Amino acid sequence: MQPLRIALTKGRLEKSTVQLFEQVGMDCSALREKGRRLILPVGDGSLQAVLAKAADVITYVEHGVCDLGVVGKDTIMEHGSHFFEILDLNFGRCGFALAAPKGSRFYEGYRVKTVATKYPNVARRFFESKAMDVRIIKIEGSVELAPLLGLADGIVDIVETGATLRENGLEVIEPIVQVSARLIVNGASMKLRKREIEDLAACLEREV
Amino acid sequence: MKTYSKITPEGTRDLLFEECRARRQVQAKLSKVFSQRGYREVMTPGLEYFDVFNLGEAAIPQQEMYKCTDNHGRLLVFRPDSTLPIARMAASRLQGHEKPLRFYYNQSIYRNLPELSGRSNEVAQMGIELMGVQGLRADLEGIATAVAALSACVPDFRVEIGHARFFQVLADQLPVTPSVKEELRDTIESKNYAALGELLDPLGDLPAAQAMAQLPRLFGGEEALHEAERWFQDGETREILEYLKRLYQALGELGLGDRFMVDLGLVQRNDYYTGVVFSAYTHQHGDAVLLGGRYDCLCEKFGDPLPAVGFSLDLDAIADLNVSASQEEPVQVLVFGEPGYEMQALQLVSSLADQGVVCENSVYDTEEETLRYGRAMGIPKVLCVGKETREWNIEGGID
Repeated sequence: MQPLRIALTKGRLEKSTVQLFEQVGMDCSALREKGRRLILPVGDGSLQAVLAKAADVITYVEHGVCDLGVVGKDTIMEHGSHFFEILDLNFGRCGFALAAPKGSRFYEGYRVKTVATKYPNVARRFFESKAMDVRIIKIEGSVELAPLLGLADGIVDIVETGATLRENGLEVIEPIVQVSARLIVNGASMKLRKREIEDLAACLEREV
Repeated sequence: MKTYSKITPEGTRDLLFEECRARRQVQAKLSKVFSQRGYREVMTPGLEYFDVFNLGEAAIPQQEMYKCTDNHGRLLVFRPDSTLPIARMAASRLQGHEKPLRFYYNQSIYRNLPELSGRSNEVAQMGIELMGVQGLRADLEGIATAVAALSACVPDFRVEIGHARFFQVLADQLPVTPSVKEELRDTIESKNYAALGELLDPLGDLPAAQAMAQLPRLFGGEEALHEAERWFQDGETREILEYLKRLYQALGELGLGDRFMVDLGLVQRNDYYTGVVFSAYTHQHGDAVLLGGRYDCLCEKFGDPLPAVGFSLDLDAIADLNVSASQEEPVQVLVFGEPGYEMQALQLVSSLADQGVVCENSVYDTEEETLRYGRAMGIPKVLCVGKETREWNIEGGID
């Protein structure tokens, strides 16, 4: 039997995932010292990890080239979902929020507002739910810059502590939703390798 | 102006040689499976009125349909689904016909999916519809035909069955708004246990809420059906469960063993399903290769209350599994007519072809060029037609 293949989101979530794997007694030495290898064995060899950018984790799992993935709910909300989302891993907690320059009264006036964001789908759905027309501009880097430069009236972004917002004279107008890391599973894999996947999920669930 | 004359649109592709051949072979095998069981082929137009697919709950999402207008300004779509047009056709044109109606189809559907997802926007499908009949016998026939179709062209597959009513009955017993019902459906579809728990927590220990919390976990082999008995003690869900058990036991005789599974959390997909639903998976493909189920309320939307069961197969995915197995028959003979003997050469090609020899006519003007071409193409034998017919054997050099 082929090992189960899991795609991990590089960076912060990767570290927390490795920690979680080690808590449940899986050997992660290959993941800790990965060198140039792209596909890494985990534990007793029944699991293989690949590291990818968040949105790519979803792509690999949707297409079934990875059976499982660890990815933030923020990425899931932005990039759609055609997979099973079976476990909230409870780390990588943060929230989406609408923020604007302090004292700017975002919701007032008749002018259609402009919103800068890295998450246009999340922003669009949020304003749709309020039946509010806005102009959405996609920004790739530091979104906080857009209102400072006068490009946008507000931003929709991930907020952890709010420190970056405060330092740039912005404040949260409205929290949108709390997010955290999730364990996702390809639809066909879930059906074809139920026992192994459920065992792994149950094992992780005890620790989260 | 930038033109797009050298590429095909997003989500579409050319099929060359082996891929084309694999698709045709799969189509031939499936046509045989269906027609030998009394299913008769139908085709529906590539263009249909938008209204055919805009039927309230059974609607195809409008953003997924390719649209255009006719010359009266009426909205048309490129066929996004085959079951709805066949329901339209059966309900409007075959009302007085003896039932059941058995159809099979072999046609593509078109969906305008988000770009760069790697999915096809033009999907070749084949499938059947068994219309005008309800009950165990029809459901068994539908699933057994699906298994026969898969056995003909998918090396290693698993089939799973579920029932669309589990979710519908439980949801109707919960004191929740339609939008919460939709959220419940989404969370069960994506097996998002955590979010499902949060939605159901406020409902306390209502039996329907507790049963619904179990839905996404109730999948697997026969043990999932036994487990389900704990949660569906009485009423309609119990009846559905008993029905599913009867189906499962009966279908056990197909000899699929543990490749035959159940999933009581199959709530996804088209809203037109009203009864048993089934799908099939294979290790080589990340999505289901077959989807089907019972839809008893669809045809009545087109004017004739025909209960029905049917399924569709993803031909692209299945053809992919068969590409390596499908080799073209190599050309065995190249026929060259000397000047003045062009027609005789073509007649020789015809008579060889009639005998089942794969041969080509040389369009080159000289024997020399013909031999060069034969060598380049690896054709083992060249026949030169003139006053007499001479034979060259190219393999290992010309003798």
